[in-house]
Amino acid sequence: MPEKTYLQAISDGLRQEMRRDKRVFVIGEDVGVYGGAFKVTLGFQEEFGPWRVIDAPLSETAIVGGCTGAAIMGMRPVAEMQFADFISCAWDHLVTVAAKQRWRAGTPVPITVRLPSGGGFSGGPFHSQNPESSFAHIPGLKVICPATPEDAKGLLATAIQDPNPCLYFEHKHLYRRLKAEVPDERYELPFGRARLHREGEDVSVITWGAMVHTAGEAAQQLEGEGISVEILDLRTLIPWDKQAVLDSVSKTSKVVVLHEDTLTGGFGGEIAATIAEEAFEDLDAPLKRIAAPDTPVPFSPPLEKAFIPQVEDVVAGIREVAEY
Amino acid sequence: MAIAREAEPVGSLQEVREAGLDHEDLLGVYRNMLITRAIEERGHILYKQGKIPGSFYTGRGNEAASVGIATAMGADDVGTPLHRDMGVHVTRGVEPWRIFAQYMGRADGPTKGKDGNVHMADSKLGLLAMVSHLPAMLPVAVGCALAFRIREERRVAVGWFGEGASARGDTHEAMNLAGVRKLPVVFVCDNNQWAYSTPTYLEYATEHVADRAEAYGFEGVVVDGNDVLAVYREARRAIEKAREGGGPTLIECLTLRMEGHAVHDDAFYVPKDMFERWAANDPIERFRSWLREHANLSDEQEDEISAGVKKLLNDALQRAEESPMPDASSVLDGVFATPEDLDTPHHK
Amino acid sequence: MATTASIDVVMPQMGVSVSEGTITKWLKQEGEPVAADESLLEISTDKVDTEVPSPGSGVVQQILVQEGETVEVGTKLAVIAPEGAAPAEEAPAAPSEPATPEAAPQPEPEPEAAAPPEPEPQAAAPPPEPEATAPSEPEPGAAQAPAPAPAPAAADGDGAGERTFVSPVVARIASEHGVDVDQVSGTGRGGRVTKKDILAFVESGGAPPEPAPVPPQPEAAAPAAPQAPPEPAPAPPPPAAPEPAPAPPAPAPTATPVQPQPAMTAAQPEPGESFEPVNAMRRGIAEHMRRSLDTSAHVTSAIEVDMSNVVSIRKKLKGEYQASYGVNPTYLAFVARATVDALRDYPWINGELRGDQIVTRNYVNLGFAVELADGKGLIVPVVRNAEGLNLLGMARAIAEIAARARDKKLLPDDVQGGTFTITNPGGYGTFHGTPVISQPQAAILGTYAVVKRPWVIEDDRGEDVIAIRPIMNLTLTYDHRLVDGALAGRFLRDLRERLETWGEDNY
Repeated sequence: MPEKTYLQAISDGLRQEMRRDKRVFVIGEDVGVYGGAFKVTLGFQEEFGPWRVIDAPLSETAIVGGCTGAAIMGMRPVAEMQFADFISCAWDHLVTVAAKQRWRAGTPVPITVRLPSGGGFSGGPFHSQNPESSFAHIPGLKVICPATPEDAKGLLATAIQDPNPCLYFEHKHLYRRLKAEVPDERYELPFGRARLHREGEDVSVITWGAMVHTAGEAAQQLEGEGISVEILDLRTLIPWDKQAVLDSVSKTSKVVVLHEDTLTGGFGGEIAATIAEEAFEDLDAPLKRIAAPDTPVPFSPPLEKAFIPQVEDVVAGIREVAEY
Repeated sequence: MAIAREAEPVGSLQEVREAGLDHEDLLGVYRNMLITRAIEERGHILYKQGKIPGSFYTGRGNEAASVGIATAMGADDVGTPLHRDMGVHVTRGVEPWRIFAQYMGRADGPTKGKDGNVHMADSKLGLLAMVSHLPAMLPVAVGCALAFRIREERRVAVGWFGEGASARGDTHEAMNLAGVRKLPVVFVCDNNQWAYSTPTYLEYATEHVADRAEAYGFEGVVVDGNDVLAVYREARRAIEKAREGGGPTLIECLTLRMEGHAVHDDAFYVPKDMFERWAANDPIERFRSWLREHANLSDEQEDEISAGVKKLLNDALQRAEESPMPDASSVLDGVFATPEDLDTPHHK
Repeated sequence: MATTASIDVVMPQMGVSVSEGTITKWLKQEGEPVAADESLLEISTDKVDTEVPSPGSGVVQQILVQEGETVEVGTKLAVIAPEGAAPAEEAPAAPSEPATPEAAPQPEPEPEAAAPPEPEPQAAAPPPEPEATAPSEPEPGAAQAPAPAPAPAAADGDGAGERTFVSPVVARIASEHGVDVDQVSGTGRGGRVTKKDILAFVESGGAPPEPAPVPPQPEAAAPAAPQAPPEPAPAPPPPAAPEPAPAPPAPAPTATPVQPQPAMTAAQPEPGESFEPVNAMRRGIAEHMRRSLDTSAHVTSAIEVDMSNVVSIRKKLKGEYQASYGVNPTYLAFVARATVDALRDYPWINGELRGDQIVTRNYVNLGFAVELADGKGLIVPVVRNAEGLNLLGMARAIAEIAARARDKKLLPDDVQGGTFTITNPGGYGTFHGTPVISQPQAAILGTYAVVKRPWVIEDDRGEDVIAIRPIMNLTLTYDHRLVDGALAGRFLRDLRERLETWGEDNY
């Protein structure tokens, strides 16, 4: 299998979907001639033309609202937010219209919104956020957070074909830094099925997105100390693989929940609560959450480093739980 | 200073024929207006009898605007009517008993009790269910038009909003995108002069809402919203123009909301003489006189139509009242769609 | 000014997702002078091709990465030596820093970023848990109570043999295998028995120390460890129980100036008597009733209402409301609905005398006096914003709040903020009464039994005849300081009018 970057995998997956399904179109700011702010759709307009790769005005509301209308008319729109942060301008359309339409009016809204998210490169407060938990709270929306190139491609195909509004969080920090084998052919990966990123005995780390790799580095270091870390990559938050989490907890009895989003109200709280409710008698240590502090994302490198959970933070957290 | 074109009233039968309506069509329009008003009058009573939970909104005064536009739409066209546009549902063929069932939160309402009042639509009839954030439906209508444009279908989307909704950013973004891409969409502003208690001069600073169209690169028209034939003629022009690739049009139907924002609002802030003036210009009464004068509407015909409407609604109400309340467990149904749900007329 | 120290040229980050760049061309060679901001080289990245301006003035001393090579963002590409070696142009060089923030993921001392290993709270471990050590003999349940475990700190005295927290999973395994956790030696923090420890213990067949592993007291093992015994629930339902919370229908606690029990302080019951302690609710009621009579000038007016219309409409609606909504449209609901309408025309009756001010409102929070199920108390839950309820809404709200009152599920908010109260003793057939006003309101409406009575009416010809009519008495007890008798009379008259002319389309 060829090696591809995370970004290339997303781009390939999208292109394959557009080739096989005429209903799929892309709309967003600068996605056409320019190929998208991150070049995910580079060359798409040449191949699919200006009416399937649509350069939109600077109008997140109209982009997502328009996708909703087009989806109800039978299309499979893929909207690109230039940065996940800008989804706030389309909040109303996701939450008020798209999320509720199936439940109340019986009309499915199969749209995919691509959301380049996450920090680690001095993007500052408006280009670095991880707003996945806000949407995980809204009934009717699905939330996807791939961590590897292979998952990025397969989960994107599933999202586009899913009959519901799907928020696809692609982590910017992984775009070009992460390279791995990706199958050439088209494939779908099911939602709600976690991936065992690393098998271990002593502590389970439940995480997703870029933090999977931070956890991986931490686990590597701790191996030298004789601490065996299991890493579970959730891959999708709505739906999320509760059983895989409970199974891992029952195996190790010690848990760290890790995410790049801020702590309070982060999705880690939901996981922690579920473990407390359903796996209480499996616990051998207090559950630990590692997350960003409750502040906006800072710009200056030392501040940002203090904000995003670093490998050292994760090592310390896992060690604390392991030694309990 | 007005920028939008101000539409002429409709005069002769000849003119109406040229606009595409024959005698039967005219009686159909009249009948739909009567049904529209009767449904809302009945709903008003049901509400006061405690049979309708929540709030209750009517579109009294807006019958000509809603029926006129809907009559001009083609069978494959789609639209996003709002809560003053009952006439659109009626004209597109939504059965009155289902509307009553919806009002009363019954299992057979289009939303099966999950949403109330006019928050409904039958997608098989080309209608999309509104949300309370009224201008939010405009980008959705534009999205429908975008789908038609991508697939090169000769279909048109109609998006409704009020002069209150015109103040929100959604309206701007929708019109701008539609103008930039020349999409087959017609924007209809039900300007009923009061957004809850807020008068027009506190909502917008131009003379007409339709004056804005020029700024988005398409035509704006102001039409007398109580003149069903003028509304029809302008809507038909705009819809056919959009169908032919001529891009969007903004039609502003000027009328007056003849009741409060909802039944719980007595509209004390609307000057009494304003109500009186507009009541004298009632759209149904006005069309009835026109039909008598220009289209030979006889007493017998009139009685027959009224009796038909009355029977229709009596039967409808009875059927709606027989509809059960939804089962409590159904609250959990359908949060997420399944692939089978995509087997609807639009998702092919 | 002139640059004084040598300057590194690094691969810039051309966009947030770019991690590497390729040198396409060096525009200056080693030994050549370069001015600050003058183009120094050309690079190519995934997103863009661009020239890189020199970060300072001086001479290109060393080129470290050659054309065609691809390196990570932040890699050092060249070194510029300070001026002096070459003619030097006195360009206004930026003091030292390059434009790009020097994104090198280098060692970098950064003390404060490295120091706190975890982002937030507990700076240092709190002092060791005291309570676990105190009693030398086990006495399980109590000793291991402190569940939330703020980490039994590492430096835990001399460890050996001390009891420490038993985690849920260890407790479960102990219970499943009948193991006394005390017999297991722990390797966890502070000697805590970990899951691994107990599993190893079980696997080895139970370590020697104690020949018989004492199939011990179940509580020791029970997973219920964290529930300490005498814990009052944090937010219990209100009345009945000795609970001060929201029970009394009163607001302001008013210290305790009025001691309503003069002589009976600590006496013994006389023969034939028995004592029952005054509970908090009764004390609250007593205080409030007395205070109300001391505060308001109570006057009561009454009126008779012909309920024929209401009776017949209710008969029609009853089946339907019950089938469709599970709600009974009671007479009380009709009266309440009509009262809310009437109050709109009599704001003072829905008002309050507050110091020097008369308070009126554009809303009605309607209180309903409800007897508790045990017959030993009274509570006045409030239906808020009753002006927004139609008949169905009113009937439902009354039923709901009364049920909550009886089930003791009222919240503090449910019994506060009333602006007018209705009391309905008519259920027992009483036809008149003089209820006490709920302070600080201005009036209270009493509703009484609907009784069939001979009633003089006018027949079609305008002659007096006697008919049998369902009659209900209504009383208004009002604070005469604020409400005059005539006003109260007009209010009652209007209320009667509304009930007697209730139309089918009313709501």
